[in-house]
Amino acid sequence: MSGLASIAHAPALLLATLKGPHVDFAGLSPLLALLGGAVVVLVAGLVCGPGGRASYSDSASDPAAARPSPGAAVPGLLALVALGAALGMTIWQWNAQKSIVSGALRIDGLALVLNVILIAGGACAVLLAWRSHAARGAAQGEMYALMLTSIGGMSLLSSAQNTIILFLGLELLSIPLYVLCAIERSSERSLESGLKYLIIGSLGSATLLYGLALVYGVTGATDFSAIASAIASRGLSNDTMLLGGIALCLAGLCFKASVAPFHQWTPDVYEGAPTPITAFMAVATKVAALGVMLRFFDVALIDVQSVWAPALAVLATVTIIVGNVGALGQASLKRMLAYSSVAQAGYMVAGVVVSTQLGVRATVFYLAAYLFMNMAAFSVVLARERETSLGDSLEALSGLAREKPLLAWPMTIAMLALAGIPATVGFIGKFYLIDAAASNGYTWLGVVIVVGSMISLGYYLPVIAAMWMREVPAISAGTWPLSALTRRGGGGAGGSLPAIAGGSPELDEPAGADQPAAGEGSGDAAPAGADASSRANPEVVFVALLAGAATLFFGIIPGPLFDLVHSAGSGLGLF
Amino acid sequence: MSATTFGWLCLACPLVGTLVIAALYPKLASLPSQTAGWIATGAIFLAFLAALGALIKLQGLSPSHRETTSSLWSYAVTAGVNARMSILVDPLSVFMILVVSGVSTLIHLYSISYMDRDRGFGRYFSYLNFFVFSMLLLVLAGNFLLLIVGWAFVGAASYLLISFWYRRTTATRAGIKAFVINVVGDVGLVLGTFFIFNHTHTLEFLATFHAAPHVFSKGSGAITAGCILLLVGAFAKSAQIPLHTWLPDAMEGPTPVSSLIHAATMVTAGVYLIARMHPLFELAPAAQDTGAIVGALTLFIAGTIGLVATDIKRVIAYSTMSQIGYMIMGVSVGAYAAGLFHLMTHAFFKALLFMAAGSLIGAMGGEQSLNRMGGFRKAMPFTYASFLIGGLALSGIPPFSGFFSKDEILLVTVERGGWHWALYVIGYIGALFTALYTFRMIFRAFHGEPVTEARELMAGHQHHVDVPTNPATGEEEDTEVGFPGPAHTIAENAWPMRIAMGMLALGAIGLGLLQIPRTDFVIDHFLAPTFAGASGYTIHEHTAKLALGLSLGTLVGLAGIALAYRIWVLRPGTSAAAQSRLGLLYALFSNKWYFDEMIDGLIVRPAAAAGRFASSTFERVVIDATIVGGATALVGAGSTAVRALQNGLLRYYAALLAVGVAAVGLYFLVQS
Repeated sequence: MSGLASIAHAPALLLATLKGPHVDFAGLSPLLALLGGAVVVLVAGLVCGPGGRASYSDSASDPAAARPSPGAAVPGLLALVALGAALGMTIWQWNAQKSIVSGALRIDGLALVLNVILIAGGACAVLLAWRSHAARGAAQGEMYALMLTSIGGMSLLSSAQNTIILFLGLELLSIPLYVLCAIERSSERSLESGLKYLIIGSLGSATLLYGLALVYGVTGATDFSAIASAIASRGLSNDTMLLGGIALCLAGLCFKASVAPFHQWTPDVYEGAPTPITAFMAVATKVAALGVMLRFFDVALIDVQSVWAPALAVLATVTIIVGNVGALGQASLKRMLAYSSVAQAGYMVAGVVVSTQLGVRATVFYLAAYLFMNMAAFSVVLARERETSLGDSLEALSGLAREKPLLAWPMTIAMLALAGIPATVGFIGKFYLIDAAASNGYTWLGVVIVVGSMISLGYYLPVIAAMWMREVPAISAGTWPLSALTRRGGGGAGGSLPAIAGGSPELDEPAGADQPAAGEGSGDAAPAGADASSRANPEVVFVALLAGAATLFFGIIPGPLFDLVHSAGSGLGLF
Repeated sequence: MSATTFGWLCLACPLVGTLVIAALYPKLASLPSQTAGWIATGAIFLAFLAALGALIKLQGLSPSHRETTSSLWSYAVTAGVNARMSILVDPLSVFMILVVSGVSTLIHLYSISYMDRDRGFGRYFSYLNFFVFSMLLLVLAGNFLLLIVGWAFVGAASYLLISFWYRRTTATRAGIKAFVINVVGDVGLVLGTFFIFNHTHTLEFLATFHAAPHVFSKGSGAITAGCILLLVGAFAKSAQIPLHTWLPDAMEGPTPVSSLIHAATMVTAGVYLIARMHPLFELAPAAQDTGAIVGALTLFIAGTIGLVATDIKRVIAYSTMSQIGYMIMGVSVGAYAAGLFHLMTHAFFKALLFMAAGSLIGAMGGEQSLNRMGGFRKAMPFTYASFLIGGLALSGIPPFSGFFSKDEILLVTVERGGWHWALYVIGYIGALFTALYTFRMIFRAFHGEPVTEARELMAGHQHHVDVPTNPATGEEEDTEVGFPGPAHTIAENAWPMRIAMGMLALGAIGLGLLQIPRTDFVIDHFLAPTFAGASGYTIHEHTAKLALGLSLGTLVGLAGIALAYRIWVLRPGTSAAAQSRLGLLYALFSNKWYFDEMIDGLIVRPAAAAGRFASSTFERVVIDATIVGGATALVGAGSTAVRALQNGLLRYYAALLAVGVAAVGLYFLVQS
């Protein structure tokens, strides 16, 4: 079979070699910008860095060593420039609809929109990593270069048009990530997480590769559309070998998207990896994995949709349940967000299951929403990790609203959005997914999404409660003049104060009531520590605010985002 | 700028106001004391100017093009639903925003002085601005979605402001009561919307009205059910029987709040709703009749309770219910312009009455009982004059504004013929009650022997209580945060209050002239484009009945005043004698026709009993033990299981991965 196909292709191949390779550099430009950028950043890191790897113990203990040298910011800036260039190239290609590199890559709406999301996520991650120990420990350039390479792999994956590129992209994405997870060499957990990810990841990749091989063996094609036409023309939809191959591919791709039961690496790896890397992995890997799932399942395997869709729907259900149930009662915020990301992956898989244009749009919409929500949440976690000694525990957020509203608001919005509360982008995203599921006969999957969201309130709301209703832990107590008020109010009413109707004694007595000059004085004094540390991490606060604002903005005015994903859906051009 | 741009501006001003006050909140203590009040008042005044701009722009268009819509953005466009952020600027909504923003400006101004000493000054104004924003959103909404949002927002704002003194138990209870009953109304509105949307497949008002005659046959079940559900929303918001019991209790809020929300604007939302939905109601005659009958019943019953209530704010509250009864009756029988005209004049004179009552309460040091008041005429000439003007307008004495608006409603009612005669008669009986209870208040509070507080005031010293008490229960209370402030203000010493009341008094006197029978029809002509398709919308040029009605109304009003004069001034013992002779009737009225008890007995108690039964048997066994217990246990067990699998050991992960692959593989192999 395969022999026949290759003979059929031989003349075309021969022709191509004779004419000399025609390379569409315009179509490749975003990818070239990313990978070229990686090389430049790596070199710049060697040139501008502190001359080889700084020993991590130095940078952790000695404040003088922790102070960045003048050239230290260069690799980071160059990484941002590379991302900016890639974004520019992506926008330049905006209305393109073409296959390049002999049909290996497809530049269309889906690829370009996913590129934008990936680049945005990458830029946020670069900003979050700006001052991390990891970046300093790893000779500056390496970390950003690895990130850019990984984004390149993701970009490749999201425009993959044949199985070879699919696997290539997946590995290009994964291998830098293995290293990135372990990049904080001072931390045992980071090393452990890297190793775990590497071993389990290899298993996932092997599964996928085996699946791809089987699919190739049956259809004799690597090209997605060729696979589709082979299945259709030769009636392979019941072929054992093909279905076995699909099963293995499904497992491999689900592994990357952390769909249960292939998710076990997620909590451990997310928790152990440095937080900027966790944020990057959580967002970008998911974008790439779901993007390629959309392409592979909805293009190449569309004719066996009746077989894989129920399986994927069941996996989505299991994922939603496992993710939401697992997140309950987690004390570590990163672990909680890891399980939450498992659940979110379940929601998004629902969009793949229905395999309609609406489903594609809903998935892409949710990916964008997911970027905003998770970046806001992770950057707040990161900021608190750096400011307090409490790490990523829930304790670190206690009383944040009073101490540092600029961090509490993005986190609150992110939690509400992840839970799917209206007027946030998470609500519209879920609504869109449910709409897509219900419109193609998967109403029960919509119900599962709703039930999952209900359970999820059980772990998102405690985070909000901790920020707004708990006292600042003693370690970082603010100086808000609360105690005096509580004492006096308690004397008047003889016990607890009814905080009803939106009023409360603290609110009615703004800062100045007790100390006449406090309007100015305490305004500066209370968040003094807070200001100092947010001044220390302005880029983290910036990312948090930006992502939080986007979560809210697109929740109220989703129009622009709808327009963006509209082109993604129609770009696939097969429905 | 187009009319719709002004509409958006009008909406933006109070929103910006409330956000600015909220943002400044922590700094308010260091700013001059009344900053929040002036910001809020300025914001509402700008909204009023924007409303005027919309009016001018709208009048510049030809009458058939005066229904303009504008959509800012689409909230969600998915299969079947197109939810847009759109407003409808037409004569009706412009009429409403003018009334709302105009009266609100004056009440904000009044509040600056009235709430001056309250510890929650800043919070008060941010709530009040939020209320105005919500109300404007309600009347400007161009589709059902925004209408529901505005509808719910005003309910929330009303709750926040009724419970403004949140450490008064009576106030928080009243707030909860109002909120619960309003939510009943919200449910009615949402279900009604769904009934209509289900047939018309659009949420936009104009498209709905356009489609309605084609998809609904007149009097069909669907449209009748939809309209009756809308009426439930209107009744709850407008305090019509039997969903009225929250309004008297809502008087627990600060007096300007009663004036703005529970007299002039929010409670008239039901009237607006029926007028806005008139193309639907005209297809559902049964719903129209329901509205008319309930309106007539309310105006009668509320009038009788007003005769015996002793708390001055509650008397005015019952009067409000009664007057809204007229409006609901009016718009339900097709007297749209008349009903809305009454809405406007009522907003002015009723706000004025509340403000004057607030000033009076201030002079009494927080006391609200009519039994304790008396002889304030000389001590508070300005308040007295204002109250008198408001009272005369309310009683429908020419040439005050109430005279022109009320009789027009009754005229259209009687022109419907048939059993509408009964409503006409009830309307005039209600008018008699109106004059009677209004002048009962005036004679008891301002005439007769001056009480101690009045004499103190004449001597130049405002009465000040040493131990503040809750006027509803007599409990001693604080003047701390969450309670009313320590000092009260009266109009005689505060120029912002005098300006606000003076402006409203001018309106109460002069606004009736907008629509003098046989002379001009400003309101009728202005609203005509909105009601162009309404069957009953005719301009009543001249009929004998009109003349008859107007003279009858005057006579009834004067008779009521004369009767009140006789009972409470000439022969002060009469009312006590009447009370003992008509004991049963008195008991019925003073117990508010036992509506609270009826609701308690019919709904609350059975529900509570059923609830107790259910909780002791059904819930404990089925829900708690099985469903909730089961579900929590399941989730808990699941959580434990998931975490148990997550033991951190690599080999387990790899094994699980293999198991997963095997399971998925098995499924696919079975499929082949």
